[in-house]
Amino acid sequence: MLASGGFESTQRVLASGPVVESSESGARWLGIAYWQAVNRVTRGGVRARWTNDGGRLTLLGGASLLSFGTPELAFSCEVVSCRYAIQRGLLALRAGGSVTIAQRRADEEVELSVIVEEYLPRLAARRGAPKWTGTLYAKCQSPLHSAVSRHYFELLASRAGG
Amino acid sequence: MKVTVFGATGVVGSALLPLLVSDHELVVVSRSTQATEQAVRWVEGDASSADDVARAVEGADVVYYLVHSLGRRDFERQDQVAAENVAAACEHARVKQIVYLGGLGDDDATASPHLRSRRETGERLSAGAVPVTTLRAAMIVGRGSAAFETIVALVDRLPAMITPSWVSTPTQPIALADVSRYLAGVCANQAAFGESFDAGGPEVMTYRQMMERIALLRGRRPWILEVPVLTPRLSSLWLHLVTPVGASVARPLIEGLKSPTIAREERLRTLVPFELTSFNDAARSAFAHDEAALRA
Repeated sequence: MLASGGFESTQRVLASGPVVESSESGARWLGIAYWQAVNRVTRGGVRARWTNDGGRLTLLGGASLLSFGTPELAFSCEVVSCRYAIQRGLLALRAGGSVTIAQRRADEEVELSVIVEEYLPRLAARRGAPKWTGTLYAKCQSPLHSAVSRHYFELLASRAGG
Repeated sequence: MKVTVFGATGVVGSALLPLLVSDHELVVVSRSTQATEQAVRWVEGDASSADDVARAVEGADVVYYLVHSLGRRDFERQDQVAAENVAAACEHARVKQIVYLGGLGDDDATASPHLRSRRETGERLSAGAVPVTTLRAAMIVGRGSAAFETIVALVDRLPAMITPSWVSTPTQPIALADVSRYLAGVCANQAAFGESFDAGGPEVMTYRQMMERIALLRGRRPWILEVPVLTPRLSSLWLHLVTPVGASVARPLIEGLKSPTIAREERLRTLVPFELTSFNDAARSAFAHDEAALRA
């Protein structure tokens, strides 16, 4: 937890080579693949829906868990990334923070990462509140996020060079 | 250069022929007899017949494989047999290149039977010694394209739609004219030998956004409600009722719409450079084609 009250988490793996090229399409594909991983890990329970304003993660196609702005795509020789700003939703205490899905050169290898920054989860314990009030976040949401990231990395590995 | 085209009477084949005819000697394979024109020799044949295929590819330098059996009950098996025939005959005839049009999203582990079949067809064609150039496209925006016709019919005929959640899946449709230019551009292009390219259009959108754009172009304002419970079977039966697309074609198409069909790379834009057609312009062009046909 950051001093601001926001949460930050980073999952990363090293790959032997790039999984996407450095282009707008490559950056967009990183984002799309991540939402596919969310769908798969939750067996369709949490679904990504794309709208004119960005996207939403919905519970069984209904309640909006998190909504995102339009993807911010970036690419250079060093980094290819897709960043979604978190706007609102049942799992966000207020608008703010982001999810960035990236591929970054790291010496001879390539680092694939999922980085959540300045996110204010509704289910987490508030600063100064008893720890048990954050049980749902610690035992459900956070492990699910880690599982999605793991599956996402596997998905990228399975399609590398495809 | 001698070029043989399988599937030339289909939507893409028909658009491709005029682009090839000025530079190449064409042999065009179709299931029914057609009048032979100057520079285009029509050969009656079926890709599922090894003898027909061998006759058609004899002496060819480049072979276009634009065949699919969508709509048949056993389309996956039919497609495999046809692809194996073509791969074997091309190898025997020492063809220099096979050009194949596959589907974006076909590398998804949970791909629908339709998308899986597109991938397996590509694999069967590549199993031989002849280098294959694969172009992978999402929905083709043009008259006769089953997916495009389905969406236009839905917009034209229904003032209100209850749609399944696949309408929120992102896709990257490409104009019929553009995919044809790409196909023609890789012909005998050695840089494309043995390569697979994503042929994405210039815009990414959901099927819902596509419906809304077509509705605007058609002067309509349908009311769309997404529900998470419609199955592909129910949806295909509904499409069978209200659109010109039969359930046997609609179902595999709908199952395929669950997977995002987005380009992952843009190498084709460098290899065959030209300005891509916007979705609205491609749709307008398809509708203009209709109006011209009506006037005629």
